[in-house]
Amino acid sequence: MSRVLATYNIKGGVGKTSAAVNLAYLAARDGAATLLWDLDPQGASTYLFRVRPKVRGGVRKLVRRKSDVERLIKGTDYERLDLLPADFSYRHMDLALDAAKHSTDRLARVLEPLRSEYDYIFLDCPPSISLVSENVFEAADALLVPIIPATLSSRTFEQLEALVAGGPQVLAFFSMVEVRKSLHREVMAQLRAAHVTMLGAAIPSADEVERMGVDRAVVAEIAPASRAALAYEALWWDVRRRLTARAPRAEYP
Amino acid sequence: MKPAGTDLLLPDGMTPAAVVDALDARLALREGPPTERDRRFYDTFDGLLRAAGLAFVYESGRTRLLSTEDGVEWAASAMSDPPDRAFAGELEPGRLRDMLTEIIEVRALLPLARIHSRQRAFGVLDASAKTVVRLVLDEPVVVASPNRRLALAPRIRIGAVRGYGKELAGVRARLVDDLGLRPARRSELDEAVFATGATPGGISSKVDVALAPDERSDVAVASVLRRLAEVMEANLPGTIADIDAEFLHDFRVAVRRSRAVTRELKRVFPAEHLARFRAELRWLQQVTGPARDLDVYVLDFDELRSELPEPGRSDLEPLLRLLFDRRSVAHREMVRELRSDRAAELRARWPAFLRELVTLPAEGRPDAPRPIREVAGERIVKVYRRMIKMGRAIDDSSPPESLHELRKQGKELRYLLELFGLPLHPGDVVKPLVRSLKALQDTLGRHQDREVQIAALRSLRDGVSSLPGGPAALMAMGVLIEHLGGDERAARAEFAERFAAFASKDQRALVWETFGP
Repeated sequence: MSRVLATYNIKGGVGKTSAAVNLAYLAARDGAATLLWDLDPQGASTYLFRVRPKVRGGVRKLVRRKSDVERLIKGTDYERLDLLPADFSYRHMDLALDAAKHSTDRLARVLEPLRSEYDYIFLDCPPSISLVSENVFEAADALLVPIIPATLSSRTFEQLEALVAGGPQVLAFFSMVEVRKSLHREVMAQLRAAHVTMLGAAIPSADEVERMGVDRAVVAEIAPASRAALAYEALWWDVRRRLTARAPRAEYP
Repeated sequence: MKPAGTDLLLPDGMTPAAVVDALDARLALREGPPTERDRRFYDTFDGLLRAAGLAFVYESGRTRLLSTEDGVEWAASAMSDPPDRAFAGELEPGRLRDMLTEIIEVRALLPLARIHSRQRAFGVLDASAKTVVRLVLDEPVVVASPNRRLALAPRIRIGAVRGYGKELAGVRARLVDDLGLRPARRSELDEAVFATGATPGGISSKVDVALAPDERSDVAVASVLRRLAEVMEANLPGTIADIDAEFLHDFRVAVRRSRAVTRELKRVFPAEHLARFRAELRWLQQVTGPARDLDVYVLDFDELRSELPEPGRSDLEPLLRLLFDRRSVAHREMVRELRSDRAAELRARWPAFLRELVTLPAEGRPDAPRPIREVAGERIVKVYRRMIKMGRAIDDSSPPESLHELRKQGKELRYLLELFGLPLHPGDVVKPLVRSLKALQDTLGRHQDREVQIAALRSLRDGVSSLPGGPAALMAMGVLIEHLGGDERAARAEFAERFAAFASKDQRALVWETFGP
């Protein structure tokens, strides 16, 4: 029974890639066959896994299912964790989707043959509201939404919940938290009080997370006992607990 | 497609440390933390998992079903302690249990080998320091018993990383060409089984004795019967220890087949010796009969119970308890007979007699020197014709016994076809005949089984009525008897059609053409 989890936020630079990479690593470490699809043309998670950002045939063939998606997948340094890499052509993914029939469920269809092979499929999404995000909402069982505790973040959260109403489960969590900032603490308390769907775990703003891009490794490897590593463990535990409470969405016909 | 990983063995005289040095000098390696593993492997007595390309392994609180070719995990489940014996039905519900049930059915999983190994894991890196191939240096030791440890040859396991097939081939070529490593002919598990003196693949109850068409009949018959005696011997310890129901079943099939062969091909034996052995084989079948019948009732119980409407199913519990009790009594009685001097004498004398058979004088055994193809062919034609005659005489007014008699002849024919027809004649002729015979036998078997089940349920009524919950169980048994009666009538109604296919003109011509003179 595979689950599709997308790290998503309308804004950039909020910790989507870090969450996708670290959670996918933890899923695989716990024994689950896991795939991460790097949908962001910038290819940050592809870079982290030291894989060449190249998809033969580009996005046009991929979304029309003219490519054999199983042959595009690359194994990573971590057992059971595979990657469907980014490609520079993903910057035109909106156009490619728009030109295809059933333009809002193309990504779900691409994932269909992979669902029997993987227990978890993570989608690392580019920031925006676009046809790509509509496709992500269609394909995902849950959106993992990193939120920086700052003014207006409550508004962002509410907008998103309205946007995907009736679609995937929305699991928001605090990201890049600086506990020394009183503003962060206040906003977190307010949001947790107002939204029961907010996850308890919070990812700190930490050197280890920033080092990922330099060391090209997951936090659990760079600093296994760090606050950030433990925070991702807690987040993964939290996500899984919420997921098991809900049946996955029907697989695509 | 995931390329398969393969095991390589170190060249003679090269130590594991030396191979790591040599690898390090040639490849960019990153070493992970070393691990100590303690794996216990299981399979059925007849190696059903190995035949399916799978291995069942217990390791630190988990049981897993792995593909032997590439080590890919098919299913897993938690288990607190390594079992001494396990049935599929005892596992946690889930994929592992479902897959196992499909493959091993009622057979027990028995410990096959325990391997303790020290492993060092390496990633082979490309220019951007990414792992493109995985290597594991494995130093396995078989734990045959607490104080008997057997070291196996160290091996290097090459693990593929998806999407890096070229790199895999390159690393493998270097290990083989530059370092002189050679592909392991046997899997680590097979190697471990060999080391303990056992045979990988388990012990089969199949009788595939190669026969030559013009072989003397007494030689051919003796070799088939000796193989059947081996099958009985192989299954006897498991029957006595009551490991699973298949031991007794296979044991009895071998006895029944031996009886059929000695009956149908009796003219290769000296008459006076044969009569004595036939009486003893018959005795062996009789003393094992009640235990087998009760095995079948217990095994079929769930299926039988599912014939009842849902609310009444639990009412049958007293019947199940009674069956279990009777089964253990019958089993004890059977074991006493199987351990008796009478059984020991038969086990010693029967194979000895079969070895001597060809040296005995030819008088009184006219078929002995004749070619087996001819003699067996005559018997096949004869039994087939007898069945046609018996079947044609059956109509709606015939008593059930007439169907039972026909079924007995059908078994006889089936054994002849399997033991002598298939090895001596083209499969494309014999197999369709076996198929139409099987279809007929299934119908006849169902008819008889239902009758026997009805009689058994009736005979168990007294025993059940005195148990707690007895009255409700009796009611449920009444419903079952009615249901079984309906199925018995349905099987009887099917008979005519099945028999017609078996006795068709084409089929008759084919039998004559293939097995006739």
